[in-house]
Amino acid sequence: MRPTLVVGNGPDLFVPGPESTRAAGPFPLDPDPSRAAARFESLGPSDLSSALITVLTSVPEGSRLLASPPRLARAIAEVTHRPVGSPNVEELRRARASIPRADPEAERRFFLALGHLRLERALRAPEEVLITLAREEERVERSVGREARAAESFIAVPDSPLDRHLVAWGRARGALGDLEEALRETLEAEARRLVPNLSAVVGPRTAARLVALAGGVGALARMPSARIQLLGSRRRPSAERGPRFGILYRADRLADVPIGRRGAYARSLAALAAIAVRADASTHRDISAGLVARRDRRIESLRRKRR
Amino acid sequence: MRPGRNFRPREDSPRLLEVDRADRRELWTEAVGDPPPVYGERWTEVAERRFRSFEPGRSKLAAAVVRGWTGDLPAPGERWLYLGAATGTTASHVADLVGPDGRVYAVERSLRPFARLLSLSERWPSLRPILADARDPLGYSSLVPPVDGVYADIAQADQLDIVLRNAELLLFGEGARVLIALKTASMGRQRSAAGHREAAERTLSDSVSLFASVPLEPFHKAHFMVGGRWGRSARLPVREGERPTRPRDRRLGRRAR
Repeated sequence: MRPTLVVGNGPDLFVPGPESTRAAGPFPLDPDPSRAAARFESLGPSDLSSALITVLTSVPEGSRLLASPPRLARAIAEVTHRPVGSPNVEELRRARASIPRADPEAERRFFLALGHLRLERALRAPEEVLITLAREEERVERSVGREARAAESFIAVPDSPLDRHLVAWGRARGALGDLEEALRETLEAEARRLVPNLSAVVGPRTAARLVALAGGVGALARMPSARIQLLGSRRRPSAERGPRFGILYRADRLADVPIGRRGAYARSLAALAAIAVRADASTHRDISAGLVARRDRRIESLRRKRR
Repeated sequence: MRPGRNFRPREDSPRLLEVDRADRRELWTEAVGDPPPVYGERWTEVAERRFRSFEPGRSKLAAAVVRGWTGDLPAPGERWLYLGAATGTTASHVADLVGPDGRVYAVERSLRPFARLLSLSERWPSLRPILADARDPLGYSSLVPPVDGVYADIAQADQLDIVLRNAELLLFGEGARVLIALKTASMGRQRSAAGHREAAERTLSDSVSLFASVPLEPFHKAHFMVGGRWGRSARLPVREGERPTRPRDRRLGRRAR
């Protein structure tokens, strides 16, 4: 006997019939697209309509029940108190082919609602917040710098339209600077919370940018230190004259290292950063004191050594 | 210079138009959405129909057509699954090609490009964005109805495997199409670009009757457009040993992000 199969089709659920007949359904998840999207994402027992449950309970004992996606199978198993399997690829293909086409406008609004829902949920994760903040802060920092340089090339002429313009611009620049400062404070607090060890070693702002460039704490933790050293560098790597720094050039104590020794320092710092972020990603232990001590010892020895 | 009478629709995909200029061939697609431009492309209006310039330098599909692609293209009314839609540059043109009655289900997993794809979809009626990983077609199989074609532009070492898994599950009917913008630079250094293309064709030929593939130089370095009609394995199950697998040695492949 052909198994009874329940499949999701965007905002609707269907019970596809044998090949020639029409599917039973649709059983809409919800008339409202955003609520349908939320139900689609959870798809628990409470998301099944009573009409669908009636159909399911009328399925004779002994026949097989299948459902796709797996979340739906679990929900149906809970409601009907029967084992519910997953269809194989061929069964699923055949079932989905018998489903009538969705109403275009309803389908479109459901996809947009689902896209917004998934995007917002994903962007709310602390790691993604840090990445967004880091990128935003970098952008604002650049525009603050650009405006400051532009301002230098103007000379104030008292009682002229240019002067009034400059005063207005000065205010706008001040506001932009305040924004940057506020952004940076939030960013640093978030970085200290999410990657405390890395923040201690390279500074919270650089730590945040490293995470942003890697695309996540986990991705950064899986990188070898040579890759971390060059994250954010623009020049092409080469054996003879490749870049020595990426964003690590902005690390906290780089200024204390003699210029000729900074390449060597970047190498050691990248190694320490790699250890730090691995602790942040997996053990969550605070090993910052030891790492900072090693970093500072390295700076001291680089300062003592002559080139 | 106003384009007009010399706009020639292509027979296999009438919403794609070719214009011969003195030095080159231009491509235009008839827009299903409204201005402003999606990524800064040129727009023009001919007889109250709006067209968007389809640049080979921006889009691998356009580059393939310019380089003499003879295989099938997305055509009006069809449903296509688009893997790796990013911000929707090419996806918007594919949506143009299938027209208002067609559908493009555009899968993208990176958040920030997806945000732009999503806002584009608000004003591009045939585009359906999906935030998901193309490696897991079961995860969105309940969103995508059976499709007439799969277009893939995913720079991953296992891109062929990803495409085949999607095709097995979501392609429907004899003659359904698979189009892959193959980025050989993502597939490891064991083989040359041409070697990757050959290997890809060999792998695909198990389940697909191939179109003639074209290199996308000089528009996209070390890229090829390969594809074909879904054929033999639509009925026969794929045997385990024939499945392309991910490169086992990660040192040889470029790191997959």
